[in-house]
Amino acid sequence: MADYSIWVLEYAAVEKFPFSVMLYGPMHQGTRKLPYGYALLKGKGETILIDTGYDHVAFGKQLAESYGVSNYHGPREVLAECGVKPEEVTSVLITHAHFDHMGAIHMFPNAKFYLQKSELDKWVWALTLGQEYRFLTGGGDPADIVRAVEAAKEGRMILIDGDKEDVLPGIDVHLAADTHTFGSMYVVVRNDGARDSADKWIFAGDLIYTYDNLTGLDPANPQFVPIGLAVGSQQNLIFSSAEMLKAAGGEVRRVIPVHEDRLHEIFPSRLTDRGLQVVEIALANGDKSRVS
Amino acid sequence: MSEATEGSTQPATWRYVNAAQPAQQLISRTLTQIAGFALLAMTSKRPLALAEGALLGAQQASLQAIEAVRALEAHGGASHHLHHLRQAAAMLRQACASALRCLGPEASEGEREALVRALRATSHHLRATARLLPGFELVDLHRACCAAHASQLRLCEA
Repeated sequence: MADYSIWVLEYAAVEKFPFSVMLYGPMHQGTRKLPYGYALLKGKGETILIDTGYDHVAFGKQLAESYGVSNYHGPREVLAECGVKPEEVTSVLITHAHFDHMGAIHMFPNAKFYLQKSELDKWVWALTLGQEYRFLTGGGDPADIVRAVEAAKEGRMILIDGDKEDVLPGIDVHLAADTHTFGSMYVVVRNDGARDSADKWIFAGDLIYTYDNLTGLDPANPQFVPIGLAVGSQQNLIFSSAEMLKAAGGEVRRVIPVHEDRLHEIFPSRLTDRGLQVVEIALANGDKSRVS
Repeated sequence: MSEATEGSTQPATWRYVNAAQPAQQLISRTLTQIAGFALLAMTSKRPLALAEGALLGAQQASLQAIEAVRALEAHGGASHHLHHLRQAAAMLRQACASALRCLGPEASEGEREALVRALRATSHHLRATARLLPGFELVDLHRACCAAHASQLRLCEA
């Protein structure tokens, strides 16, 4: 009996993304489609997002013209595919403070937001180091932190200090310190509500971009291969990948990378008339399928 | 295309851009620091022990930014950009002052509101500087995962 219905909703994509960024290694290994998406969970009286996407008004044109990001659709259209309006979102778990994960918090006026304290602490610290260290803070947008302050003033911003069980019913978060960012976190949904759950789904944020980060490319000789971008270290990325896979009981498909284009081949899915994938990870009892 | 962008190929505009970039980056960094402290203060039940010293540092940075933008000269389309940069620096100074008043749990609702207003205004003017002329982007998209391929994209399309 599943507590939450869970979907991964595509909202934009890069059609030809270099594989060597997704799986750190030799250059010029071809390209793959890189979808942008967020996870939507409904159940237990909550409507939850994992991450928000980017601020299309501020960055859409540049991302489209210079970086090939295409077919953007905003939260109102994307969430409508699952019968949800942005104002109905009750909680947003922000895996990390990069502009494309935290950039649209202003579009969810009734949500509470959850972010790791160390993500913010160390970003602020890194800014004191001087311009020559700006690699460490490059993916963050000051406007997102200002909006977070506005949300905090309304009591809608919660900073989490490390691992925390039951942030929301049946949902735990785990700090992956000094990995892709200073305070990235991954989300574990125990979808049967049990502490020792047999039905866990792990949402990886940008700790992995593809299932291949968990397995490598040689099925006979699996290995963890980190993504390319780490403000922390690739060692920490590798150990976080191992933790997530262990949390999933070794079942690779249960560690969900929203940037993985093959999700629609592994789970029931539907291509909308806007050309976006709706991937149905789980369906709560009595809930309506959005892909069949 | 904005008047500022149309003029962006002019030598005078490029001189302005080169001169103004460090000031804008200083404002952006300091805004993030102050907003970060504000967020920590508003979400913590305890006073922030080290914040006052750090905020005094941010206040110093805001004064540097005001001096830096005061020294800038702009003509034509870049004038509008400089207007927003000066406003950003001025609002940043206000945000610093408000943040210092907001340290600790006894900060009034009015003081918190004033801080949020100043932060929002600084961000608004900074966003305008990023929009009006190239070279003032607030997010380094080259360091974002989604954009790491940009040069490769252009190679593929060449």
